[in-house]
Amino acid sequence: MNKNRERLVSGAAQTKRFGVSMITPTLIVLIILTAYPLIFTFYYSLTDYNLLKALKSPAQFIGLKNYVKLLGNEYFRKAIWNTVKFTIFAVLFEMLFGFIMATFINSLRRGQKALRTLLLLPYLLPTVTVALSWRMMLSPNYGIVNHVLSSLNLPVYNWFADIKTAFPMLLVIDIWQSSPFVFLLLYAALQAVPQDQYEAAKIEGATTFETLIYITIPNIKNSLALCALLRTIDSFRLFDKVNLLTGGGPANSTTTITQYLYNTGIKVFDFGYGSAGAIVMTIIVLLLASIYIKRAMS
Amino acid sequence: MKKLLALLLALCMVFALAACGQTAAPAEKPADAPADKPADAPADKPAEAVKMTLALRGGTYAEVIKECLPAFEAENNVSIEVLDLAEDDLHSGIALDAINPTGTYDLVMVDGSWMAEFTANGVLANLTELGYELDDDIIPATTAICVVDGQTYLAPYYGNVTVLLYNKQLVKDAGFEGDDIANLDDILAICKAAQAAGKKGFIYRGDSNNNTVVDFLPILLSFGGWVVDENNKPTVNTPEFKAAMEFYLELVATGEAEKKDDLIASVDTGAGAMGVGWPGWYKPTAETPADYCAITGVAHDGDPAYLANVYGVWTIGVPANCPHPELAVKLLSYLMDKDVQLATVPSGGVPCRYSALQNEEVLAAYPQYKVVCQALEGGKYRPVLAQWPQMYDILGAELGNILQGVKTVDQGLADAQSRLESEIDW
Repeated sequence: MNKNRERLVSGAAQTKRFGVSMITPTLIVLIILTAYPLIFTFYYSLTDYNLLKALKSPAQFIGLKNYVKLLGNEYFRKAIWNTVKFTIFAVLFEMLFGFIMATFINSLRRGQKALRTLLLLPYLLPTVTVALSWRMMLSPNYGIVNHVLSSLNLPVYNWFADIKTAFPMLLVIDIWQSSPFVFLLLYAALQAVPQDQYEAAKIEGATTFETLIYITIPNIKNSLALCALLRTIDSFRLFDKVNLLTGGGPANSTTTITQYLYNTGIKVFDFGYGSAGAIVMTIIVLLLASIYIKRAMS
Repeated sequence: MKKLLALLLALCMVFALAACGQTAAPAEKPADAPADKPADAPADKPAEAVKMTLALRGGTYAEVIKECLPAFEAENNVSIEVLDLAEDDLHSGIALDAINPTGTYDLVMVDGSWMAEFTANGVLANLTELGYELDDDIIPATTAICVVDGQTYLAPYYGNVTVLLYNKQLVKDAGFEGDDIANLDDILAICKAAQAAGKKGFIYRGDSNNNTVVDFLPILLSFGGWVVDENNKPTVNTPEFKAAMEFYLELVATGEAEKKDDLIASVDTGAGAMGVGWPGWYKPTAETPADYCAITGVAHDGDPAYLANVYGVWTIGVPANCPHPELAVKLLSYLMDKDVQLATVPSGGVPCRYSALQNEEVLAAYPQYKVVCQALEGGKYRPVLAQWPQMYDILGAELGNILQGVKTVDQGLADAQSRLESEIDW
């Protein structure tokens, strides 16, 4: 009896040890690549660390001064607002277009593969290529968009230099590039919806709208939540398109948090101030993500 | 098996951590080892070529240097790698490399506006101590930022200075020739005439805070204004600044903001009349539709003439942690040699030297160098302040607000002044 119990205990301990040994590499990688930089960034955010000045005199601990300066800065607040606004519109439209594309392609009897590949192309392009292509197309001199508009006697714009058009154009480009990502995830989810549910709905005389609301959406709601979460985090980190196309201008109308931190922290080597901004951004992203994660887990 | 796997993983992590945590220590050289030569190289074997690395501003600026390197490489048994970098990458690249005990770069290209922060923090080597001195052939005004407390840290290599880039036909249609543009009123008249003809008048770069400021500075200087006072404190809410800004608003209303490439294309194709440009952007000839001239620094007819051409001179220097200082100074002296510099002119080189810019053969082939020489003689560097990058960021943001109509001139300048005073440590 005792021997059996000992064997059971040692078996459980072995299983536990195996579990721990399996999880350890991941934990170590996470600690090195995520926890350590995060702790270090937080530490820097409490100092006046400047890369060049530190060559002569070490960084000093200044408490929460960087945070006070950051949150008191009207341009940082504007950058937060621009980022939130961008995220809301981008996620909303990308989800909408991605969903429309996915349901449309899923409903096709022929040509699904070809259309699926074509629709995915924008997402496969590197962001720099996308930004530069759009910059050429929207150029006030040789851009095809203005040529087409003027040939149709429509008003032309200086898209990235006009305060009225710069922000919407960034949104359009992001939606164009990222909707296929949503499409891909939702299309995969739609393929897994049991067909008998649709058949039952058809027999019951459900309309297309009712089928969508009562069958399609409930079946793919987890994928919808995941898409929204991933797109929210990605949109919140928007930097490359802004930096390449507008640099945050005109008149700060397109400055996002990352662009602001790049201009005021990284470019001038003021890493203490930049770190404070990065921590604020991390907190906001965590708050947003936690809502989705909580909902998904419940 | 599991234990072995765990042990292997742990060993991998330990090695990875050890490799990441290793601090690069400067290679110790025996006292009698010749400089820039591997200490352990056998005496009877031909010495292996020393590898040098140059960090340069991409474009014409780097191309003209690359052209000169093969002769130096052959003569000194070195192999040189050149990194062509964008302006921001070059700036951050030099700064990031400065924190290493022994750096990567032997020679770097430095923009005048970075000089203050680099010298204040010991990023650059003292060229005087390394045996290099600037010669009298170099245009004196271009050396203003190169010398600190009697010690030379940089050499002016590429004579970049703001000029007025214009479309010849549109200027002619407005009743002017390039040489006739005597003051800012003439510029405004030409741009208004172009606008009336359905073209764009004045084009400025509004794509970054730095560009917004730089394109405005020649106008500000022509009104007798500047961004700092004699004590290097910000002074942007002044009557001169306000007058310049009001004039600039009228001027930019004739055109629009564009990126550099679009600005050049607009002026070249005749879609736009003019804009502030740099000699490195455009090679005018008798056949090209565009040309450039120096900005006279006169606001209105009868007003005094101020120095209004802003330097964007690309200087060359040696980092303080350079791996091969002796060879680096030798290379710098070679690149600054007047004959070597003269030879770069056909490829677009703009030496800051009288012997090149006033050379009769050069002027016969490239008459625009006369204008460049005048502009270089009457140019002004951006403030030599370690705070300049922060300053142009704030000023550019407020100027952008004014130009986009988000703020009035008074409100924008008052905000700029108060932010410059409160957000930067002076």
